[in-house]
Amino acid sequence: MSSDASGGFAQRAHDALGNRQLHIALDRTTAQLGMRRSTAVASLDNFDEVRDQARAAKMQVLRTLGDSLCRFEERLLANGAQVHWADTGADANRIIVEIAARTGVRRVAKSKSMVSEETHLNGALEKAGIAVIETDLGEYIVQLANDRPSHIIAPIVHMTREQVGRVMHDRLSVPYSDDTQTLARYARERLRDEFLQADMGLSGVNFGVVENGTICLVSNEGNGRMVTTLPRIHVALMGIEKLVPTMADLDRFLKLLARSATGQKLTVYTTLIRGPRRTGDECGPEELHVVLLDNGRTKMLAGETAEILGCIRCGACLNACPVYRSVGGHAYGDVYPGPVGAIVTPGLRGLDQFSELPGASSLCGACRDVCPVRLDIPRMLLALRRQAVDRTPQPFALRAGLKLFARVATRPRLYRAATALVRRMLRARARDGWIAKAPGMASGWTAFRDLRAPAARTFEEQWRERQGSRRGA
Amino acid sequence: MSDARTAVLDRIARAVRTGRIPETRSPDRLALHVSGQEAPAFQACAESLADRFVREARALGVEVFVEPTPDAVRDRLRALVAGLRVLSWNRDRLPYDCGTVIVDALPGSAPRQEQARADVGVTACHGAIAETGSLALISGPGCSRTVSLLPPWHIGVVRHDNLFATMGDFFQARADAMASAANCTFVTGPSRTADIELSLTIGVHGPGKVAVILGP
Repeated sequence: MSSDASGGFAQRAHDALGNRQLHIALDRTTAQLGMRRSTAVASLDNFDEVRDQARAAKMQVLRTLGDSLCRFEERLLANGAQVHWADTGADANRIIVEIAARTGVRRVAKSKSMVSEETHLNGALEKAGIAVIETDLGEYIVQLANDRPSHIIAPIVHMTREQVGRVMHDRLSVPYSDDTQTLARYARERLRDEFLQADMGLSGVNFGVVENGTICLVSNEGNGRMVTTLPRIHVALMGIEKLVPTMADLDRFLKLLARSATGQKLTVYTTLIRGPRRTGDECGPEELHVVLLDNGRTKMLAGETAEILGCIRCGACLNACPVYRSVGGHAYGDVYPGPVGAIVTPGLRGLDQFSELPGASSLCGACRDVCPVRLDIPRMLLALRRQAVDRTPQPFALRAGLKLFARVATRPRLYRAATALVRRMLRARARDGWIAKAPGMASGWTAFRDLRAPAARTFEEQWRERQGSRRGA
Repeated sequence: MSDARTAVLDRIARAVRTGRIPETRSPDRLALHVSGQEAPAFQACAESLADRFVREARALGVEVFVEPTPDAVRDRLRALVAGLRVLSWNRDRLPYDCGTVIVDALPGSAPRQEQARADVGVTACHGAIAETGSLALISGPGCSRTVSLLPPWHIGVVRHDNLFATMGDFFQARADAMASAANCTFVTGPSRTADIELSLTIGVHGPGKVAVILGP
């Protein structure tokens, strides 16, 4: 359900552009998130310095990933946790279903976890006859609406409050409301019993601390605390890249994460887990399981896009991206949308199926500017575009055309003559300085907007003239 | 599952040889220490830890009472919880003998459904973080996590000497206590969500109301 590559990105983007509701919803949120981030960033004196340190720490972890994981595992075991390794998403799901079966789990309460979306865990649990409920408000509504999340941080960024009200009205038989406080109260009332009755809590992991095996989880609503406190089993599912070396690094990443994601200084609940309940504790899970998932990450680590494994899933690049802001998350066809998704999705699912995604960018670099880990997203998008072009046969017309262009462009005299010709042709079509319909292949440009007519004289001509007159003076 | 472990580690060993992982300056050379030397800016501008904590907490919507004496702390707590069903950390875990004013409080060991019906949860805290207005709660016998989680209102009693400038300072100072506990949670304001059109909504799953009594 959550992987939908049908129709291709271009088709889905085209559909999304015509969806007025979606635009209202996206406009209300992405710009706002971007502004909140800017304000929050300004509240940290040495934001850029912290970013440099965080980036260095992440790249350090990636360079030493094998050792880091072994050490992290060793600490987890010493803390009393049980550790599982999974090659694929299906393996992770099977491991979790087996834990549930062995411990007699009937009901699972989940806090928000992108990785579990990636592995389609809900489907696997339901198939095994285990009830599973999402408890993050956004994810809960996604589940009720049988929809898919469209943003890493704000899963229902694509829905208006009126749409949410109708979903809750239809599925929960509650009076219709478009007041967000009322809608949140509906969720609180419904989910309270789920927390108290669940046998297993399932969470993702924001950061795993190598030096002491701490698992860090952040949540604003408190559902992350509920699912790691009340049920007797806690399973934390994490990608193998989610490590940070030390507590000092964790401190830095926490400074960056909330500011970049929601514009808060700190998420409301920052939970550090060091193991299952200790002797004498009144609450906490009897068993803590950590599932370490590869699912294509080592493949990414081996190539041009290894750097993307430093991503902390803050979603800032989504809010900054002009493409995401126009087409929304669903157009990307998988769990991770936006600039980060355009790199991660081909990495996880294969470039063949998602070869269009690296093209879903204007390469403006806004994503790199806001990234708290300073990931060079445009570089990786270009690398993937190159790979996609290398492995797919290009149409003859395109190859011949580019070859011709290369010939012309590398011969200055020919190039000047050719551009002069094109300029004259375009100017002949212009009206009041604008061209409404360009000829041939250029017609794609004018399908949606006018093209400004070229200037009578080129920059180069003007430059030469000025240089000449200056010398003459 | 040891097969998967070997396979993943093998793939990593091969991957790091070919993968393009950007060079960065070593974190050690970059690292200012989390604490101490990295003098927090607000100390330079002479704002005390307490003032900063109070300002940050209030900005989050936390109701803060600053009380000059243990008596005043107890009086404040008594007044706040009068007539309410109280859930609490064990009385010996609360500072300023606060246990004496909530003698009928439910303990964290009470049945969950009963705890969930409480109107207010009373805890102490192991650290109050000035920079972010957060309360740090370390789990342990008598310090049940449910107390700050299930009731719709959470009251934290904070001793003045539990104030820390930053989370990094707290990590260093309380490393041993954190190592021996299963859980350490930083509470930074009331439970909230902005999932629906980013409109701020308070009190989703955790307490929608948080109050702090800051003692001497």
